[in-house]
Amino acid sequence: MRVGEHREVLVTRLRLLSRAMAALLAALAGAFWFVQVVEGSHYRELAETNRLRKIALEAPRGAIVDRAGRTLVEDLPSYNLHLDRSRAARVAASLDFAAAILGRPRAELDLVLDRYREVAPFQPVLLAEGLSLAEVARFEVAELEHPEFDIEIAQRRLYRLGRHGAHVLGYLGEVRPEELARPRSPYRAGDLVGRRGVELAYDERLRGTAGERIVVVDSRGRPVEEFARTVGRPGDRLTLTLDADLQQEAERLLEGQVGALVALDPRDGAVRALVSVPAFDPNLFARRLAVEDWRRLVSDPFHPLQNRALQSAYSPGSVFKMVVGVAGLAEGVITPADATFCNGAATHYGRRFHCWRAGGHGWCDLERALERSCDVYFYQLGQKLGIERIARYARLFELGAPSGIDLAGEKTGLVPDAAWSERVRRHPWYPGETISVAIGQGALLTTPMQVARMVAAFANGGFLVTPHLVEGADVAPPARLPLDPALLEPIRRGLRRVVSPEGTGAAAQVRGVEIAGKTGTVQVVSHEAYQDSSQLPWEQRNHAWFVAYAPAGAPELVVVVFVEHGGQGSRAAAPIARKLYEKHFEPDLRAAAAS
Amino acid sequence: MRSTSSPISAPLPLPDQRPRLEHLAGIRWGLIATALALTAIGLATVASATAESPIDYFSRQLVWVGLGWIAMLVAFSFNYHTLLSWSLLLYLATLVALALVLVVGYEAGGAQGWFRIGSIGIQPSEGAKLATALYLTRYLGGPADRALGLRQILAACGIAAAPMALVALEPDLGGAAMFVPMLAGMLLIAGVRARYLLTAAGAAIVLAALVWNFGMQDYQRQRVVTFLAPASDPLGAGYQVRQSKIAVGSGELTGKGYQQGTQSQLRFLPAKHTDFILAVLAEEWGFLGVAAVLALYALYLSNAVAVAARARDRAGILLVVGLVSVVAFHVLYNAAMVIGLLPITGIPLPFLSYGGSFTLLNYTILGLILGVDFRRFVNR
Repeated sequence: MRVGEHREVLVTRLRLLSRAMAALLAALAGAFWFVQVVEGSHYRELAETNRLRKIALEAPRGAIVDRAGRTLVEDLPSYNLHLDRSRAARVAASLDFAAAILGRPRAELDLVLDRYREVAPFQPVLLAEGLSLAEVARFEVAELEHPEFDIEIAQRRLYRLGRHGAHVLGYLGEVRPEELARPRSPYRAGDLVGRRGVELAYDERLRGTAGERIVVVDSRGRPVEEFARTVGRPGDRLTLTLDADLQQEAERLLEGQVGALVALDPRDGAVRALVSVPAFDPNLFARRLAVEDWRRLVSDPFHPLQNRALQSAYSPGSVFKMVVGVAGLAEGVITPADATFCNGAATHYGRRFHCWRAGGHGWCDLERALERSCDVYFYQLGQKLGIERIARYARLFELGAPSGIDLAGEKTGLVPDAAWSERVRRHPWYPGETISVAIGQGALLTTPMQVARMVAAFANGGFLVTPHLVEGADVAPPARLPLDPALLEPIRRGLRRVVSPEGTGAAAQVRGVEIAGKTGTVQVVSHEAYQDSSQLPWEQRNHAWFVAYAPAGAPELVVVVFVEHGGQGSRAAAPIARKLYEKHFEPDLRAAAAS
Repeated sequence: MRSTSSPISAPLPLPDQRPRLEHLAGIRWGLIATALALTAIGLATVASATAESPIDYFSRQLVWVGLGWIAMLVAFSFNYHTLLSWSLLLYLATLVALALVLVVGYEAGGAQGWFRIGSIGIQPSEGAKLATALYLTRYLGGPADRALGLRQILAACGIAAAPMALVALEPDLGGAAMFVPMLAGMLLIAGVRARYLLTAAGAAIVLAALVWNFGMQDYQRQRVVTFLAPASDPLGAGYQVRQSKIAVGSGELTGKGYQQGTQSQLRFLPAKHTDFILAVLAEEWGFLGVAAVLALYALYLSNAVAVAARARDRAGILLVVGLVSVVAFHVLYNAAMVIGLLPITGIPLPFLSYGGSFTLLNYTILGLILGVDFRRFVNR
């Protein structure tokens, strides 16, 4: 025997191996006996009622309140319809049934279901949100025939002001697949996340963290026992600097117009009102926006989704004369007393430039030139300064640069100069353009928010503030401009005279409040001379600006009004500022009247 | 044990005679019969488990079984002594392949263990098991004392450790674990003194602690934790164990009937046509079905051991033992895992689970065992 005398030993060991394997298999059979026969009925019951279901304990999103604690946005309970496909006799029949109750086309529900094709059938599908009580009742009544439907109470976002404040507050949208796919994404499929405004900028603070419940439910979907649970954390409540009353008043004042309004505290940049019209209703988005509503918003020629205060840049017009004036003083090109004679037009670089007032303004010094918004005065000043110096002072006030507000998507605008012309337009700067820029026209583009910052710097004596919407926002602190504050005084005096019976801003006067301001009228279509554009088609009419701060002695509110194709600033924009100041100072004025 | 046995001194003669065809009738047909029965049951269960799947797993598995038969015939036709003489080469080649797959292989199921040739994936770790069994047989199969010396034991451990480490690096711990029963089975049959066994047990405990702390991925540790406390990960591995136990238990004595298992048909069961195929079978055929399958495995394994017992030489015995140990370990681990007695890891059930490489491996093993049996009279 080849194995030799050891075969017996080896065979003995093999026998042991064989027995060991047999014993282990027998033991396993015993274990299966125990699981299947002894405990079998228990497991059969579990199999029949087997539904381990994951239920997200949605963290309520934080409320958004105004500076006085008035609720602007909050989460409210809403009835949501879920479909458990594994319990439906025929999914098609279930959808027909639901479509009939909800009064929605069957195809729409099919689309919802399509997105869940990859999801296990026993994972409920969110079919519809925000059901009415009547709809809920009809599903509850049909529970026996349609056990596959579940009504769950979930949170729904409510924007209490409707369209008012829409651009500030923003809206929610369903998380996109690419956001889910990002590493360590905090989102889960179906989550609503901030898409614009404060909802976007402060999404992390507002959202909180969702908890999770895993429950064992019976064959009718009723939770039998809890399997596991993790606790979530509700989102933070966010206090805005906004004044809800002021915001709503501003919204009403701009109703039916196209434009923007910014009101902020020049001392720290706290935004009190921020309006862009036309607006949209963020509540539409809270119910997972229907395709049709979305298409209507996107195709609207007036772009209601655009925040004109931040995302549209316009020529500032005569409002810019404040900057040109201070540049002239600081550069020593003029003194406050130097006067220029305006006869209605002037010739610069071989071209005739008209003043807005055909008859001219006569002799104007700086203050009077501001008061009457004399163009000829600033044409001459502009020529003396040159584009480089004008651009330098415009940039000093950070025109043509994002304001740094705590919202996303700001436009930069543009401060043109010779280098820009060469780089972008590929032709030299024409000297005549300097004359246009000196009165805030030409290639110069600013957003209403940038203009508000600039005005605030004149109001607070030379500090550039960073606008912000959230109390205690993490934004840059006010920065002192490298300018002698005394240089601002002549300008401030001029602005004060603007809002007087003699000035262009007479329509902004409020009895009992000293207001300083500046009008602006931006030509949209070039004309030989200024003319009243109110007879032109809407899209050719001038843009109207009015900027102001008050009280003039100790400013606490800057207001910037911009009306697209509104016509003259003095007529279209100044009265809006007046009404807003009346609203703002109403308590003070009433107290003064009483005493 | 008899104390009279003396060391084997005769050199191992190479066969110089071809086996006679009449011996074909004398091979262990029971092995083939049980393997066939298990394969048939496996195919039926795969068909049931994947009834709703858009991929036709049944036909694919049928093809794999066909290829398995070819592999079996090829393995059978080789004289195992010829294979043993090539074994060092085969062993080294698989080590190279295992090292290579770590660099150029592609990943599936979290482990980089596959070569891709066209649309076909090849797992070198399956071949490594065979090559290692052959090389261990060659090393331990020569003339020997009643028990192995320490140097022999350590060398054998080294032979098994090299491919095991490479497979573990993929990381495929289930695949790596398979070298342990192979080595243990062969060493125990070849003879290990009690004091070495005790030392080894101590070392194993230390090693386990080291592996837990330094050698395991988080997900692997998670599996062990989940195994010990299933509720800690209810929708992960704990979910799988729970669903598997419900499937098995709800089958009760006689089962719910073919294709009537709600657990598998409603997709509560994970990996139901591969690692959890026994749960599908248990749900649909009940305890009786499971008992029948376990009995078939018992028959298969005892037949294989019987082949070892009557093998012509020590090498034949050890080769069969090494291969049988791998099969037995798969069966025992998988069955225990399905009812939650052991942590979940990718160890499929021989002849039943769906899978290409694995089906080929099982039939190759069968062919090798039958080859040993067929040549038991050669040059006698």
